[in-house]
Amino acid sequence: MRRQLRSRRAPTLPHGYHYRLDDQDEVNQNYLADEEEEAEEEARMMGVPNLEKEEEEDLVEEEKEEKEVVQNEEEEGQGQPMGNTWWQKLQLINEYLWDPEQRRSLALTGQSCSLILILYFLFYASLAAVITICMYTLLLAISPYMPTFSERVKPPGIMIRPFAHSLNFNFNVSEPDTWQHYVISLNGFLQGYNDSLQEEMNVDCPPGQYFLQDGDEDEDKKACQFKRSFLKNCSGLEDPTFGYSTGRPCILLKMNRIVGFRPELGDPVKVSCKVQTGDENDIRSINYYPESASFDLRYYPYYGKLTHVNYTSPLVAMHFTDVVKNQAVPVQCQLKGKSIINDVINDRFVGRVIFTLNIET
Amino acid sequence: MKDIQNSRKEDGRETSSRGRKDTCWNRKKNHQKQETEEEPDLDDHKLSSEDLEKKYGTNIMMGLSSTRAAELLAHDGPNTLRPPKETPEIVKFLKQMVGGFLVLLWIIVITSWIIYGIEYSVDPSASQDDVYLGAAVGLVIILTGTFAYYQEAKSTNIIASFSKMIPQQALVIRDGEKKTIPSEQLVVGDIVEIKGGDQIPADLRLLSSQGCKVDNSSLTGESEPQSRSCDCTHDNPLETTNIVFYSAACLEGSATGMVINTGDRTVIGQIASLASGVGNEKTPIAIEIEHFVHIVAGVAVTIGFIFFIIAVSMKHPLLDSVIFFVGIMEANVPDCFQATVTMMLTLTAKRMAKKNCLVKNLEAMGTLGSTSIICSDKTGTLTQNRMSVAHLWFDNQIFVADTSEAHTKQTFDQSSGTWTSLAKIIALCNGAEFKPGQQSVPILKKTVMGDASDATLLKFSEVILGDVMEIRKRNRKVVEIPFNSTNKFQLSIHETDDPDDNRFLVVMKGAPERILEKCSTIMINGQEQPLDESSAEAFHTAYMELGGRGERVLGFCPLYLPAEEFPETYSFDIDAMNFPTSSLCFVGLLSLIDPPRSTVPDAITKCRSAGIKVIMVTGDHPITAKAIARSVGIISANSETADDTAKRLNIAVEQVNQRDANAAVVTGTELKRMSSEQLDEILANHSEIVFARMSPQQKLTIVEGCQRLGAVVAVTGDGVNDSPALKKADIGIAMGIAGSDAAKNAADMVLLDDNFASIVTGVEEGRLIFDNLKKSIAYTLTKNVALLCPFLVYFILGVPLPIGPISALLMDLSTDIIPSIALSYEKAESDIMDRKPRHKEDRLVDKALVIYSSLHIGPMQSLGAFAIYLTVYAQAGFKPSTLIGLREEWEDDDVNNLEDDYGQEWTRYQRQYLEWTGYTAYFVAIMVQQLANLIMRKTRRNSIFQQGLFRNKVIWVGLASPIGIALILSCGLGSLPALNFTMLRVHFWFMAVPFAILLWVYEEVRKLLIRLYPGGTYIIKTILFPKFPTCTLIMFSSFGHKLEDSSGNRDIIKNSYKKRKKIV
Repeated sequence: MRRQLRSRRAPTLPHGYHYRLDDQDEVNQNYLADEEEEAEEEARMMGVPNLEKEEEEDLVEEEKEEKEVVQNEEEEGQGQPMGNTWWQKLQLINEYLWDPEQRRSLALTGQSCSLILILYFLFYASLAAVITICMYTLLLAISPYMPTFSERVKPPGIMIRPFAHSLNFNFNVSEPDTWQHYVISLNGFLQGYNDSLQEEMNVDCPPGQYFLQDGDEDEDKKACQFKRSFLKNCSGLEDPTFGYSTGRPCILLKMNRIVGFRPELGDPVKVSCKVQTGDENDIRSINYYPESASFDLRYYPYYGKLTHVNYTSPLVAMHFTDVVKNQAVPVQCQLKGKSIINDVINDRFVGRVIFTLNIET
Repeated sequence: MKDIQNSRKEDGRETSSRGRKDTCWNRKKNHQKQETEEEPDLDDHKLSSEDLEKKYGTNIMMGLSSTRAAELLAHDGPNTLRPPKETPEIVKFLKQMVGGFLVLLWIIVITSWIIYGIEYSVDPSASQDDVYLGAAVGLVIILTGTFAYYQEAKSTNIIASFSKMIPQQALVIRDGEKKTIPSEQLVVGDIVEIKGGDQIPADLRLLSSQGCKVDNSSLTGESEPQSRSCDCTHDNPLETTNIVFYSAACLEGSATGMVINTGDRTVIGQIASLASGVGNEKTPIAIEIEHFVHIVAGVAVTIGFIFFIIAVSMKHPLLDSVIFFVGIMEANVPDCFQATVTMMLTLTAKRMAKKNCLVKNLEAMGTLGSTSIICSDKTGTLTQNRMSVAHLWFDNQIFVADTSEAHTKQTFDQSSGTWTSLAKIIALCNGAEFKPGQQSVPILKKTVMGDASDATLLKFSEVILGDVMEIRKRNRKVVEIPFNSTNKFQLSIHETDDPDDNRFLVVMKGAPERILEKCSTIMINGQEQPLDESSAEAFHTAYMELGGRGERVLGFCPLYLPAEEFPETYSFDIDAMNFPTSSLCFVGLLSLIDPPRSTVPDAITKCRSAGIKVIMVTGDHPITAKAIARSVGIISANSETADDTAKRLNIAVEQVNQRDANAAVVTGTELKRMSSEQLDEILANHSEIVFARMSPQQKLTIVEGCQRLGAVVAVTGDGVNDSPALKKADIGIAMGIAGSDAAKNAADMVLLDDNFASIVTGVEEGRLIFDNLKKSIAYTLTKNVALLCPFLVYFILGVPLPIGPISALLMDLSTDIIPSIALSYEKAESDIMDRKPRHKEDRLVDKALVIYSSLHIGPMQSLGAFAIYLTVYAQAGFKPSTLIGLREEWEDDDVNNLEDDYGQEWTRYQRQYLEWTGYTAYFVAIMVQQLANLIMRKTRRNSIFQQGLFRNKVIWVGLASPIGIALILSCGLGSLPALNFTMLRVHFWFMAVPFAILLWVYEEVRKLLIRLYPGGTYIIKTILFPKFPTCTLIMFSSFGHKLEDSSGNRDIIKNSYKKRKKIV
């Protein structure tokens, strides 16, 4: 840096003088370098460096020497016309990266380099150990069955099937290609609800009341059946196209699972859909399956993925039997019931869902 | 007529331009001898009046005609010095807006807006986060820029108020009439009359003179009045007596002269423009800050670019990669750095102003701290700038008088009869009088009419004897011969106050050898004794001794005239000298000196322990200079000059090895003969140097010599022609009281009390600010790593973003400014003035600092913050293992049933809200750890307990402010759109505390190791002062500067010369 400063001042000094000064400095530097080398040689003469301390000194010295070498480089750099500075710098870096004379890379010998690497490795390893221990204790402290805080995930959100990009159901009745993927999506989604499967895995529990299961947290919990056949016309059993082929589409609605969520007793969560904006009569009629248009209480509470393995989320199917065709109809389906919030401004999926039906004929 | 005028004009222009060219050329080869420097190319002094009339188209009797004058005025411009070019305010403002990091920040702003533009064109419902980010960063830029500009403008204003000039008037003859006009309307050829008390309004060639004397001190530095006549006495226009120069003061007499140069073409004007020509070098602190900016910007851009490339090659959408790039840049750039630095400097400047250092250039403060040589004036800076009685000699004995600023009592033995006699002479043989109406003013502060030594003696006797005027009244003065340079004595004849004694008393004082010649007896213990050989010997010894101390010695003698020969009615005639002036009775000697300021020796000692070399540069006689240097410690008690050695060993000076002498006294004439190498050698070889009989021009030579040795030079000055040296110096210090406006303009700092000790205070403050700046940078840098890591982890591991760009920005705002400023109030660690001056290679931001901050503390801090971040997610249902690779689903707006580890399903907004909680938690975690970091950074070597945990009261504010801001953000304000802060559960606020303690313990251990092994073992050096070996170094440090550690004191000057010596 001193060099740089001087060069900034350079215009005030005539060139001849500059050279002279630098030459002198260079002599000094060389002299110093010699001195260091001598010292180093002496150290070598002393004997085999079997003590770590000696090694250390050696290394420090080498580093000092390196600095002198670099200084020399710079002196030379100064002496030459300014146009070469970038080239000089490149050379300097090159030298720095690998110095063949001193057999050093990055200003260090392999030995000191490895020592430093080891020390840093140890340092970061211990940091890693610290965070591992932290996380380990954290996970120990957290119950695997019951989330510590669930206020962020409450109240429940809604999801609808079939999957449609941006929730625009846009299809032409007479062109199966435009709705075939909805059918496939629904079929896939309902595989888990097949009656046979449900009967095999889950229990048939009494409707209209919570399916409470006492016992330890870590005991496996039973799940209530939700059979595909509950969905009647929207089960895809009678009409494998879920009404899409006739322009009367079925849309399934599922409430997001939340551990420990219980709707109000005797007042199951209901689904109700209507036109969001525009003419109320654009929909005309909707059939809900199950006919109550509600999620039965027996599916609550949910005990969590770990123990409630076969839990089957209840569904409500909306069958839009007489929607106005050839026009986009925005539909809003809301959950109704106590402990349900459906008017969060920022979250358009909490307690409600808005989608568009545009059925062409 | 016109032709003549034209040729004159051309000639004049050519003259001036040539003059300037010459001086420029001289500046370029300023290592060479300087004596020819700044010699204006004038020959008017050699011309006769008739030739002058012809040349300037004027008439000596009638002057110029008004119309002609108006023409010339229009052509040449007003007779004022053109002020140095001012940068327009708007340019200054814009400079503040794009300086340093702000360029990077602007890039962030523009990129984020462009990104939004692209997103918007694709999808009009695109998230507006980028717009908000851009706006927020833009706001920060404008705020910090405005702030910095405001601070700078404020400090400039202080100075501006300093240099207000009072308009001057000049008496000029025009159209044959005498007129008074403002002196700026003078033109070449005007005939001007000057009289005592005037300031010379332009360069004048004198046409007639009546006892005119001028004080050229502002030009030549010599304060002796010089008489001026209309004869050409010297070829050199500066030496000849028939030219007087602009800005000089006419002390007495009157003269008529013709204006030969006006405004910038005057000799002073040329010097002033020369001063503005000496480029303002970047101050070390500016260089340091630039260096820091380069490092950080380099790191930011490099890392950003590397990850941008990785992102693109990993087939991330280009836009996302750009956003990512912006995020990394944003996290890396300390947004408020500029404001912080300016604020810190301003605060220090205020503190220094209280200690009588007015800092003009904020950054100059840091320079002061790295000062390694101070070239100081003597008069007024090291000394009190008033004569004072230092010693008395009577009864064959030397008595020491008290010379301190506040002396009220003299403690020497006053019982001897000789003293009574001496005191009477001192009181009577004195032409000075107090100005009336100063009863309430302390004696030493009273204004006196009369010559300097008389005034000193008057005050001296007033202190000792009481009312001198009363004594004089009782001893009525009959007749008086004032001091003149041929007689070299002053004499007065008085009636005595004894009514019985009607003899006349003749009292005499003057140059001791002249007084002794006139004496035949000497008074010892009140008794007159014949003046024999031995008493003459004693006199000479005393005289030599006092003279050798650089003091001005006066001898005193009385004589009672016999009443028979000189009755009361006798009329004395001073021209005929009808009274005896020999065979008097010698009483004693008294020596005067301008005594050093009492605070100076301490200050010099401090400088010495701080490794700062103090060089005295004075126009005074070498003996005086050396004496003062010795008494203040510039030449320490046990070191000697070559002359001293020669005297001690009784050998010739040439035989003494110059290098063995520690001290050196160099005179102006010697310096003239020296080559720059010889000067360098002197500067490097002697630790104690006094330059005496220097012309102010030579000051520049000395400054340049010091700078050639790589020293950071502070120079004091007051005269106009000190301004090039002040400008050239790394830090120019002008005198607030004695200084001229030009000097104050050229200087970086103004000493309000002209006291050298204030410089040392300044140095201390400068070092402190450098240290504290280092601390706050270390404090700031650490957090940058903790802000960078989230982006890297987010990108590499695909976790939800731990902290958003806007939160990161707010992090900067809330934890940077106030705590950093609190650090600037930190007291010095005990050893601040025992350290050697900072070497230029000892960077503000060196590798050790960067590596320690970003590879040790930074990762530890990120670790703590990540632990809290992971806890927030884990407690909500997302375990760390689940988070990895979750990003794409997490950020998918169409996924509103993302399952967590408990099987719960999250809508997009719920996840978003959780993410913001994560931001807040991460924010709070860093904030808490930064509090620990702040406490840690209070010291660099000492344990925090040694420093006193909270001796710095401002640190409380520094600690409280981030907490306050975090609380405000979390509990209310943060819920604003774009800010995205959420309420945080109480326990998250405390979770980072163990990590903060861990940090602090780590730091304490490091400090302990440093203290235990001050030189450092290899391990300590590698780990704690790492010379980091991998490629990071190339990123972290700018190319080409030396690769070495920053610890240890390297006195390059000394070393390089030692080596040179060895070679020789």
